[in-house]
Amino acid sequence: MRSIQRRLSLGLVSVLLIVGLLLAQSSLWLFDRSLRGYLQTTLQDETQTLLGAVVRGPNGLQLDERRLSAAYKRPYSGLYFRIDLNEQSWRSRSLWDRELHTVEAEGLKDALGDGPQGQQWLVYRADYQRYGQPIVIHVARDYRPILDSFSQVQKVILGLGVSALVLILLLQRLIVSRALRPLEQVRRQLLQLQQGQRSQLDQQVPLELEPLVAQINHLLAHTEDTLKRSRNALGNLGHALKTPLAVLVSLATREELKQLPQLRESLDGQLQQIEQRIARELGRARLAGEALPGAHFDCASELPELFSTLTMIHGNHLQLEWQAEPGLRLPWDREDLLELLGNLLDNACKWADSQVQLHICKVTAGYQLTIDDDGPGIDAALRDEVLSRGSRLDEQVAGHGLGLGIVRDIVDAWGGILQLAESPLDGLRVTVSLPLKRT
Amino acid sequence: MRLLLVEDHVPLADELLAGLIRQGYAVDWLADGRDAAYQGATEPYDLIILDLGLPGKPGIEVLQEWRSGGLTTPVLILTARGSWAERIEGLKAGADDYMSKPFHPEELHLRIQSLLRRAHGLANQPQLEAAGLQLDEGRQSVQRNGEEVQLTAAEFRLLRYFMLHAGQLLSKSHLAEHLYDGESERDSNVIEVHVNHLRRKLGREIIETRRGQGYRFSGDTA
Repeated sequence: MRSIQRRLSLGLVSVLLIVGLLLAQSSLWLFDRSLRGYLQTTLQDETQTLLGAVVRGPNGLQLDERRLSAAYKRPYSGLYFRIDLNEQSWRSRSLWDRELHTVEAEGLKDALGDGPQGQQWLVYRADYQRYGQPIVIHVARDYRPILDSFSQVQKVILGLGVSALVLILLLQRLIVSRALRPLEQVRRQLLQLQQGQRSQLDQQVPLELEPLVAQINHLLAHTEDTLKRSRNALGNLGHALKTPLAVLVSLATREELKQLPQLRESLDGQLQQIEQRIARELGRARLAGEALPGAHFDCASELPELFSTLTMIHGNHLQLEWQAEPGLRLPWDREDLLELLGNLLDNACKWADSQVQLHICKVTAGYQLTIDDDGPGIDAALRDEVLSRGSRLDEQVAGHGLGLGIVRDIVDAWGGILQLAESPLDGLRVTVSLPLKRT
Repeated sequence: MRLLLVEDHVPLADELLAGLIRQGYAVDWLADGRDAAYQGATEPYDLIILDLGLPGKPGIEVLQEWRSGGLTTPVLILTARGSWAERIEGLKAGADDYMSKPFHPEELHLRIQSLLRRAHGLANQPQLEAAGLQLDEGRQSVQRNGEEVQLTAAEFRLLRYFMLHAGQLLSKSHLAEHLYDGESERDSNVIEVHVNHLRRKLGREIIETRRGQGYRFSGDTA
């Protein structure tokens, strides 16, 4: 994605360059044209003066030197002539050792001719009829000084143009960034939204942005509301299903059924399956996943409550510790993260002898949650199996496998990775690597 | 031990009541949140089992009301809402334990026992022990110096209450309040009879009579 700022600058620069160059070049060309036009008339006058200098002398036609301007006598003065008669041809002294080549057509020659000392000649030819014979007069004038001043002017225009361009760009940047400031503000707020640092966009925006911001806020509120309602509905459904299930579980333990152990066993098994299925599916349906961009989990305020809950459930004999950077906020839904951490820590507490530790840290690719316990751990060969099936290894500790299943669902929904390893505390280490959300 | 069960699902409440009574508890049952808020705060219960989804008033509000009124009775929340966020909310409101439905009745009984022990400062005991006696709450019998003594249901209930309140002076009316539910006839003579039975089985010294004041379980068998 290219930024609007850069796109505007690029457009402005190309338009200014094209227009500026066209303007400068065409004005130079027009100036050159009119200058040549003016010089043509002076050169024409010059030929007439020269024609006047052709007089009839004692030995036929001759050139009256007195009528010639001094510039024709000084070598390479910048003004030259050549007069062609029937048999003879006169050339000015200023030509010295150079030849002034004839041109075919009468009038000013379009192309400049090469002269001595880097001179550029403007050559004019005029045809006359005098004393009964044709006289062809060529006059040349050095155009070099004017070309030089042209290139001088070109350089000045270029310099002025470039500095004007820079000035215009700077001003444009200033104006655009001023005009786009509300957009930039919205962009920053969206970023904060993604990182879970805010849950709504500011309403104080220009008229043009108002519908966008209002729509985003509306969508956010709507998503949150929908999530809350569906969670509530799921809670009700769970209540409606689990309460009768509790009755059935209780009925299955009745004295009367103790006489029929097989029946009781299969009843128990089926009930357990229903229970697990309900818990797993409801748990999965409750997940917010990535639906809420403004969701966040504030470690410092949520973790103490979670840990006091765990202490209450598992008793005081366990030493529970957590570590996270001060002020760390994880950009995921609070309930999802509590479910993830609650299940993992609950498992760790069930197996631990005396110690359970949680570390949360930010890494380059996202966040890493590490849970260590000093329990028996899981044999390296069995770890993959535990992960792949979310199965329960030990039927005695209820809910172990189920908890991992829900944890897997949550981690998958976030595109994270769940790993089991040996803990430095000798027990199991569960590592959850969560990638940053795509922005 | 007198318990209050607050549960609006009648078949479940029936099941729970039957199980709890078999376990020797005197149980009052309520189905409405408003009734529970009032009765839980006025009657001397030893433990309350509270469902969260109640008609009248949500369980969480009932619990908050009790706690803000200074009620310290242990409360076990029984709910179908088992997510961790809801669990934390329940315990924050002042619950002492949390069980999600469905559950095995045995687990509920174990949790109640351990909650009662914890509430009386006897945490970290797998069995109720006091004054050289070990009470097996599952089999309703008591072990004394390695020998097992069988108890009747009434004796078991009385002994359990004494053992949880070892060393405390307990009047007959106090005992009657905590051993019988709100609807039973309370006859203090019955208690006298059961105290005598216990003395016959476990030794005279185990329960001391303070004339005009009540009984004191000392268990000093030496």
